[in-house]
Amino acid sequence: MLEVSGLSAGYEGNDVVKDIAFHIDPGEAVMIIGSNGAGKTTLFRSVIGLIAPSSGEVRFQGEDITGVPAQRVVRRGISFVPAERHLFPRMTVLENLSLGAYPKRPDLETMTLVMDLFPRLDERRKQTAGTMSGGEQQMLAVGRALMSNPSLIVLDEPTTGLAPKLAAEAYEALGVLRKRGLTVLVAEQQVPLAMAFTDRGYVLENGRIRTEGTSAKLAADPDVRRAYLGIA
Amino acid sequence: MIANVLDGIVLGLQFGLLAAGLTLVYGLGGVLNFAYGQMAVISAMVVVFAIDAGVPALPAVALGLVAGGLLGLLLDQTILRPVYRLQGEARVLLSLLLTLGVAFIVDGFLNWRYPLKALSLFIGGGPVEILGVPMRRGSLVASAITLVTFAALFAFFRFSTLGRAVRSVIEDEEGARLVGIDPARMMRLILIVSGVLAALVAVTRSMVVPVDVQAGFSITVFALIVTVVGGLGSVAGALLAGLILGIVNVIAADLIGTFMSLVILLGAAAVTILIRPSGLLGVKE
Amino acid sequence: MSDRLATGTSSLVGEVGRRPSRTLRSLLLSIAAVGAALALVPLWVGDSGVLMGVAVLGLAFACYTIGFNVIFGSTGQLFLSVGALAGIGGYGGAILADTVGLPVVVSIVLATLASGLTGGLLSFVAVRRSLGIIFTGIITLIFSLTFEALLLGLGNLTGGENGFFIESGANSFLRERIPPYYVMLALVLGFLLVHGLLRRSHVGWAWRALRDDEVTAELAGVDVARYRVYGALIGATMLGLAGATYAFTEGRVSPTTYGFAKVDVVVIVMLAFGGIGTLFGPILGAVTFTIVDEVLIGFGQLRLLVFGALILLLFLFLPQGVIPTVRNFIAKRWVSQAAASPD
Repeated sequence: MLEVSGLSAGYEGNDVVKDIAFHIDPGEAVMIIGSNGAGKTTLFRSVIGLIAPSSGEVRFQGEDITGVPAQRVVRRGISFVPAERHLFPRMTVLENLSLGAYPKRPDLETMTLVMDLFPRLDERRKQTAGTMSGGEQQMLAVGRALMSNPSLIVLDEPTTGLAPKLAAEAYEALGVLRKRGLTVLVAEQQVPLAMAFTDRGYVLENGRIRTEGTSAKLAADPDVRRAYLGIA
Repeated sequence: MIANVLDGIVLGLQFGLLAAGLTLVYGLGGVLNFAYGQMAVISAMVVVFAIDAGVPALPAVALGLVAGGLLGLLLDQTILRPVYRLQGEARVLLSLLLTLGVAFIVDGFLNWRYPLKALSLFIGGGPVEILGVPMRRGSLVASAITLVTFAALFAFFRFSTLGRAVRSVIEDEEGARLVGIDPARMMRLILIVSGVLAALVAVTRSMVVPVDVQAGFSITVFALIVTVVGGLGSVAGALLAGLILGIVNVIAADLIGTFMSLVILLGAAAVTILIRPSGLLGVKE
Repeated sequence: MSDRLATGTSSLVGEVGRRPSRTLRSLLLSIAAVGAALALVPLWVGDSGVLMGVAVLGLAFACYTIGFNVIFGSTGQLFLSVGALAGIGGYGGAILADTVGLPVVVSIVLATLASGLTGGLLSFVAVRRSLGIIFTGIITLIFSLTFEALLLGLGNLTGGENGFFIESGANSFLRERIPPYYVMLALVLGFLLVHGLLRRSHVGWAWRALRDDEVTAELAGVDVARYRVYGALIGATMLGLAGATYAFTEGRVSPTTYGFAKVDVVVIVMLAFGGIGTLFGPILGAVTFTIVDEVLIGFGQLRLLVFGALILLLFLFLPQGVIPTVRNFIAKRWVSQAAASPD
């Protein structure tokens, strides 16, 4: 579904990620793990079109989307939930969600689905996004991303700053969506959660892919365990 | 006293309308349009030429509004191109300087070629009594048009999908892109809208006093002051700030005299900026 | 479609973080050279009262531009009150001399102090309220407009729209044709020297640090607020002194002499042309635009149009100004030549 090859990207002429290659098949859940500064965010931003890659290729469902600006990419069925969420702070939960469906009007069925997945949002329909707690904002960000009925959802560190219970709830919701056919790509620092949820993963270190494999294999890999699971 | 308040409201509505176009453009795109007054003046001149050519008043005004919109589009497609390549403070500064250059070019040309032209839309009929105060018909029509315009703007931003899309870019540009909104297209739309608003400013003002070719800079400066007091990017703020400053101005002029009332107005604006730089209804950074 | 982080006005200013490379001797020599060149001007135009008047005004603008350069170029504060601060000097000196009856020199000194303190106060307020560059510009613009409104409104004191003729010093050498030129030239050279010495001192180092990166400067121990206010104090003092001296050479003051449209806009363009933050940029800008303005005199209202077109061209193609652009050009040639020659 998503194929990335030879991708390099960065800021002001310096490449933060170099020669990245990975793929995602429909229905999979894939993780990208790596420590701070490894380049996960840069990678996602260049795939989704917020920054232009300096080289390489990105293909989605067979079509070349390399360097296509984000506002066009997200209309093809990919949604991105950035680490900073980028919600609309003075607009209500309802308005934020409705805009998720842009340019179409929000579809009642999808809205109901999102409200069922995140009951807290339903309670706070008219509350402005800026006044909500971190956890609620995260749910809203994911909900907004779902309003366009994407085939692939990309999440950058969705559980940062969330209490463990909320983090687990977030992944539960994603699990429900997976059963409905949603493909997921997630970058995580909280590696155990991601490992339980995903089928496969890639390890990003200093801007390059160091290791890849099924999540089970990575969980058993001693280097991975030492670096990311804190197990000596 | 009531007369002063009513006069103040009339003036305040004009101030608010002045600021509306400018504040939208700044709030959305971080661009300061110093040629805003000149856009209003050019639109006024279009109406004048149309009327001189025999076009009846209403279609002539419509032409003026279209001209305003086109000017906004032109600005977006030409002068602002290099500005869009910058971000933040550099963008504001460059937009200020380039539009200032454009303003001088327009002012120089108009003053050289048509120094005496002015637009004056006379609304016939005697004064109308409001709350016991005789008000000129021109002022009332101008105020009515302004109120309708603000109502339309509010409805657009609150209830329409496109309006919400524009607001979202003001709130968080990256978030807007992530839901499929193209900030550049929204900017183009808002510049056209601001051009039409500039034309409306000229048209409504001409119902109260003649709008001549020298009016450009004073329009821009007043628009800027009301914009900043109201909060950059807030149309409601522009209206509120306009009304407050309008009433303050009229009362001060009555008590002290015209020049000093201008000082009071400027002082009030300065005090507001110092106490609350984000403006009355602006977003706190 | 890049994600660059922009740093304030860096794209417009070419001098961020650049250490002045001159020794004290070369500084003095270059100032002397500029002084010698400018000193020759009366040899050409000394016969014409009108042209000498233009030349004196040109030097006044050079002073204004140096003052603005100190405030904006060195400390990054967008003060849109150049005319008003000079006007405090001009009107202040004139009122103190004519109305209050103080001697001319004393009037000039007091008016200069008033102007300097006002500039410092404006900066202090801006810094205290953490106003960014745009809001500093807006507040100072409001100050300028207020000043103009006060000039028009307090007619008894200021002569209103027409201003007034200054009687004090009417018989002094200041009103003759040639001496005012050398008086203003002395000011120009003096200002250049002060600015040049400041740039080489620890003050200049602090200024460069805070222009480059405010946060890092604070961490390095630079009290950004204090050095900003210093810059404004010094720049405003220059503006006031120039404004006051010019008033006495002209023999009259009027609102247009120090108006925003007449002074601030022109000064900004002069400095941008020469190079914001460079030492001699103001001189280049003032000389160029004084000549350009004279050439355009026959055009009437079209002068404004041409001026606007010049602003557009300047900021579209030469945003860093002439001096930095030339410098970069030379540096590139030098580097490519050094690379080409086998060593």
